[in-house]
Amino acid sequence: MKATWQRFKSSYLLYSFRRDKVAMASFAVLVLLILTGLAAPLVSPYNPYDPSSIDIMNSELPPAWQDAGSRAFLLGTDVQGRDMVSTMIYGLRLSILIGCGAVTLQALIGIFIGLIAGYIGGKVDALLMRLADIQLSFPYLMVAIFISAIFQVAFGIGRYAELAVPLLIVIIGLSEWPVYARTIRASVIGEKNKEYVEAARVIGLNRRLIMVRHILPNTITSVLVISTIQVANAVMSEAALSFLGLGMPVTKPSLGSLIRSGFEYIFSGSWWITIFPGILLVIFVLVINLLGDWLRDVLNPKLYKGA
Amino acid sequence: MKKMMIVLLSVLLIAAFGSLAGAKTLKVGLDADPVSLDPHVQLSGGMLQLSHWVFDPLVRWTQKMTFEPRLATKWKRIDDLTMRFYLRKGVKFHSGNPFTAKDVKFTVERLKKSVDFKGLFEPFAGVKIIDDHTVDITTKKPYALLLNMATYIFPMDSKFYSGKDKNGQPKDAIVKIGPSFALNHESGTGPFKVTYREQGVKTVFERFAGYWDKKSPGNVTKMILTPIKEDATRVAALLSGDVDFISPVPPQDFMRIKRDANVNLFTYPGGRIITVQMNEKRRKEFRDVRVRQAIVYAINNAGIVKTIMKGTATVAGQQSPPGYAGHNPACKPRYDLKKARALMKAAGLEKGFTCTMIAPNNRYVNDEKIAQAVVSMLAKINIKVNLKTMPKAQYWDEFDAQVADMQMIGWHSDTEDSGNFSEFLVMCPNKKTGYGQYNSGNYCNPEVDKLTLAAQSETNLKKRAAMLKKIEKILYDDAAFIPFHWQNHSYGARKNLMVKPIINTMNFPYFGDLVIK
Repeated sequence: MKATWQRFKSSYLLYSFRRDKVAMASFAVLVLLILTGLAAPLVSPYNPYDPSSIDIMNSELPPAWQDAGSRAFLLGTDVQGRDMVSTMIYGLRLSILIGCGAVTLQALIGIFIGLIAGYIGGKVDALLMRLADIQLSFPYLMVAIFISAIFQVAFGIGRYAELAVPLLIVIIGLSEWPVYARTIRASVIGEKNKEYVEAARVIGLNRRLIMVRHILPNTITSVLVISTIQVANAVMSEAALSFLGLGMPVTKPSLGSLIRSGFEYIFSGSWWITIFPGILLVIFVLVINLLGDWLRDVLNPKLYKGA
Repeated sequence: MKKMMIVLLSVLLIAAFGSLAGAKTLKVGLDADPVSLDPHVQLSGGMLQLSHWVFDPLVRWTQKMTFEPRLATKWKRIDDLTMRFYLRKGVKFHSGNPFTAKDVKFTVERLKKSVDFKGLFEPFAGVKIIDDHTVDITTKKPYALLLNMATYIFPMDSKFYSGKDKNGQPKDAIVKIGPSFALNHESGTGPFKVTYREQGVKTVFERFAGYWDKKSPGNVTKMILTPIKEDATRVAALLSGDVDFISPVPPQDFMRIKRDANVNLFTYPGGRIITVQMNEKRRKEFRDVRVRQAIVYAINNAGIVKTIMKGTATVAGQQSPPGYAGHNPACKPRYDLKKARALMKAAGLEKGFTCTMIAPNNRYVNDEKIAQAVVSMLAKINIKVNLKTMPKAQYWDEFDAQVADMQMIGWHSDTEDSGNFSEFLVMCPNKKTGYGQYNSGNYCNPEVDKLTLAAQSETNLKKRAAMLKKIEKILYDDAAFIPFHWQNHSYGARKNLMVKPIINTMNFPYFGDLVIK
């Protein structure tokens, strides 16, 4: 344990992190957001998912600093009378959970299939890539409608609310894995005939070890870049699904569905319903992107050697 | 040469302005385009609006929900089954043909053939021509709503619509999908005739020079109808002056329109009631009248109207809106959280229970938001509601399958009469007769059934109204459903349009009578 810590302390990763202000700031913001999300019940002033605490007569109150605003609701309330601050914190938690969960699932499936397809090649490759084609030709909405129809028959509407989060992770995860598989496969094909792989093969390492320990680290940079985009995508997909009645129940809005529901009010003057969650989502996606950029530079062996 | 051209052009320009001085053009932006020029192809609000512009009914509704003579000048009940109509003389169709009793007979027979109108005209036996300007309309059983139904009879030009068109199809064929003569030709007696039409893009109407109603104050000479589907775009079109009149106006934009100096906002109480039904077959709790009452007491429907609907609806305590025969002033909206809690306690359900609910999210104005508000209101009496909302395309299948314990439905009476609500929404569901077809609450009270059926054939209107009022009272005491509100119709118009006199509960703006200043 101590040795690992020592190694980490003297690693290039930490070294470059401590010299990169943007990375440090992004990391701090990300940690803050994730902590806030995780500690939502402790941090937020109200519990917006508890319907008995909402009063319709508080609906569409502007932020506290405006004339009609109330001190009780710092950033105002939405159309149902939910406190915006609390709803955003709870929504952020959901969005982090769904976004990261779905991307992890996508990445696991995608990397596994991409590695095998790229390294083994031949018929296996052809088969797996056609599978990916088929998957890509299904829009995720169709997958979502299909899976949620089965879910609903199996569990009924009553249980649906509880199962919505894992369901969304599975739907979004399953529908987007080919993005990873394609990218990984391409870089594996580029890597597998290089000298270091040949060398590994010559000293008699088995295939699994070569794939995981030698080739994968050299392809991981592209995974990180895609992941940053995919997290944002997953959050968007979730908002779209929620609108169609296939995602989160309307009584538990995520950040995405909160933004969407605010759209129709933006012209009518109630701008805060969509602007504040929008800013939060932009910040969230931006810091992930910045961290991804930095990580790509650090992990890129070519850049490392050059430096 | 050049000089001559300039002189000529200026003369033309002056002439053009001269003729424009008396011309009043009205540009209308609605959310949907009428599907056809044939009024019998579809039973929908949009088609009936068009019928009032291009055709004329025998009688029509006024703002006070009384009957106004149009093509029928007088009517008289001869016996329980027959009503005699005296038709207006000297009326001409757009084609130039004179309007006679034959056209009324032709139209009623065509209505009975139309897939959409067949059901409504089922009680009708037929039309007997007495002379050129007198007809007897008979029903199979004594039928109280004969005059209500006469508002659906828009006489069509029987001569114009007979024979065959160039495809060899009879001109009076009612074709839902595909070409037909009536799809793009019309000859009615109405204030406007259609001069240009491109489906879904633009329809141009011009005032019919031979229109019979010389007393009509209307001065619109040309009307251009453009469908604008997007709410925000429609509002923007009105504010920028691209159109003079829009409907509907989304509630969230009411303040914007009110604030604008060039346009006015008009609302008119409509007849569509929004309700939530509690399924007594699925949940034994809902069989207890105290639980149903507690739920109704817990719903702050006045609050919903004030906040979510922005005051664009009328709070309801019953099915029938004011003006309907069955409207019972004693059934007032009730919201009393203390009483709701007490009732739950009396029912032994202080700790509450969990149930499911479904609602559409694009069918009624703010339907999804209303459903969400229900969840938080019922949470206050410890009833936990698991809500699922979905687009209307999926919703009605789920509604019919009764997948949830509580289901939302809105209803507008086709006959503008209270009986229609009870027949479809609260009578005991019966697959054979079709009564209670949309009663997903499975509320069943033999007395309500008896009264509703009796009211159908009671031709003494006073007695009938008393029956209908009694039904409302029973439903109120039984808390048969959760009433929310009647949606208002909303219109936005430029300041020089005198819109107030031409709007009504049915959402049929009578543009023939519109005055532009």
